[in-house]
Amino acid sequence: MRHSFLDKYSGLDSPIHRLDARTKILSLFCLVVICVSTPAQAYFAFLGYFVVLAVVIAFSRVPLGYILRRSLVIIPFVLMVAVFIPFLKSDGPSGGYSLGIGGLRVSRSGLLVLWNVLAKSYVAVLSVILLSATTRFSKLLAGFEQLKIPKIFIMLAGFAYRYVFVLVDELERMKRARDSRCYGGKWLWHSKVIGQMIGTLFLRSYQRGERVYVAMVSRGFDGRAVSLGRTQFGRADYLVIAGAVTLFLFLRIVVP
Amino acid sequence: MHIPDGFVSGPVNVATYAVSIVACGLAVSRANRTVGERQIPLLGVTAAFIFAAQMLQFPVAGGTSGHFLGALLAAVLLGPLNACLIMTLVLGIQCLAFADGGLTALGTNIFNMGIIGGIGCYYLFQALKLVLPKTRRGFLAAVAISAWSSVVLASAVCALELAVSGTSPLKVALPAMTAVHALIGLGEAIITTVVISIVLASRPDLVATWKLGRNQAKKSEEA
Repeated sequence: MRHSFLDKYSGLDSPIHRLDARTKILSLFCLVVICVSTPAQAYFAFLGYFVVLAVVIAFSRVPLGYILRRSLVIIPFVLMVAVFIPFLKSDGPSGGYSLGIGGLRVSRSGLLVLWNVLAKSYVAVLSVILLSATTRFSKLLAGFEQLKIPKIFIMLAGFAYRYVFVLVDELERMKRARDSRCYGGKWLWHSKVIGQMIGTLFLRSYQRGERVYVAMVSRGFDGRAVSLGRTQFGRADYLVIAGAVTLFLFLRIVVP
Repeated sequence: MHIPDGFVSGPVNVATYAVSIVACGLAVSRANRTVGERQIPLLGVTAAFIFAAQMLQFPVAGGTSGHFLGALLAAVLLGPLNACLIMTLVLGIQCLAFADGGLTALGTNIFNMGIIGGIGCYYLFQALKLVLPKTRRGFLAAVAISAWSSVVLASAVCALELAVSGTSPLKVALPAMTAVHALIGLGEAIITTVVISIVLASRPDLVATWKLGRNQAKKSEEA
């Protein structure tokens, strides 16, 4: 399937890839939380976050183009919600900038709000992409399990991850069959065709789930998932987390 | 409708996270008690199914595209708390593996799509089932209306959160979001209804809420 981009670069070898999943999860989560809580006027703090991320990306050897391409995922929401803000807010007769075309005015406070959401969402998106591009999904799940996320989520996520590829393949086959018969199903008013495809997909995936369950029981499944390869949380990991959090707090509090 | 980081303010994040964590805690503790080992592969595959189904995008007017949400479908098929569990899982994977939806906004997204769109609209669906005629057609009508509402309500709550956070004014965000999602909701309603009718036709045992209605009918007949 064409969906290989999910774990495409997480098998590389680099200092970032070798870190324990928990280390990466905790330090990147700290970055996101600290970044979101930064006031919008702290331009240098945001510059600092981007520099840190750029350095880590360089160390991780993940191609920059891949990360930038995946970061486009925030575009739809930004287009829908954020781009109009500068035109909508008003800050009195003296504020704002005239664009000169048709009397359009861009307000200062609106621009600040736009900058605020763009900078924060972009730092966060880059961090999350960095996390998933340097950690295999299975290791990510193991990390979350050790961080005491309820077991049922981990098991369900494990199944979902294993089967999503099979189901997407199934869906691609159905799409190909539909398109080669000129059946529509691309637009909103073709929802019935999409519904029939999704209904068929549901039945097939449910029946697959039942078969999988029977196969697992016959191989000794008793409701627990057992995995090998526990990782050690060593001194280096504590050092990395402490260093990262200190650096982010420094950028957040001291730099602006 | 997946809100990225930075769009909603701290208090909104904290409040929605709190509600989502309580709901997920309930769902997890109930699942631990009642979900047998049998259901784990089934729930997992259903989560993968919702995930795959969300990838079928259809363009709506004006360059925006909509896709299937699936919260209500999961609620009708598996019950509200399992639906909340599955939507949390889907949103969590989308956030972590695809960076679709923010990390700090995850609680907000779960609140909008899992709790408002899944649990809330499930009770709307139950209420509609009481009002509408107890036939297959009435059942499907209840599914369609609550599926449409799940998308529209989730987007309205999303606009409200953006307004409370000071990101976009309510008088602009609310009409814009709900208008687009009223259209997307039509797609959601048609898709959910078609899926439910296909499942009812071939595997009626899989629709938890339908079986319940029948058992009740049987019980009342016996009484």
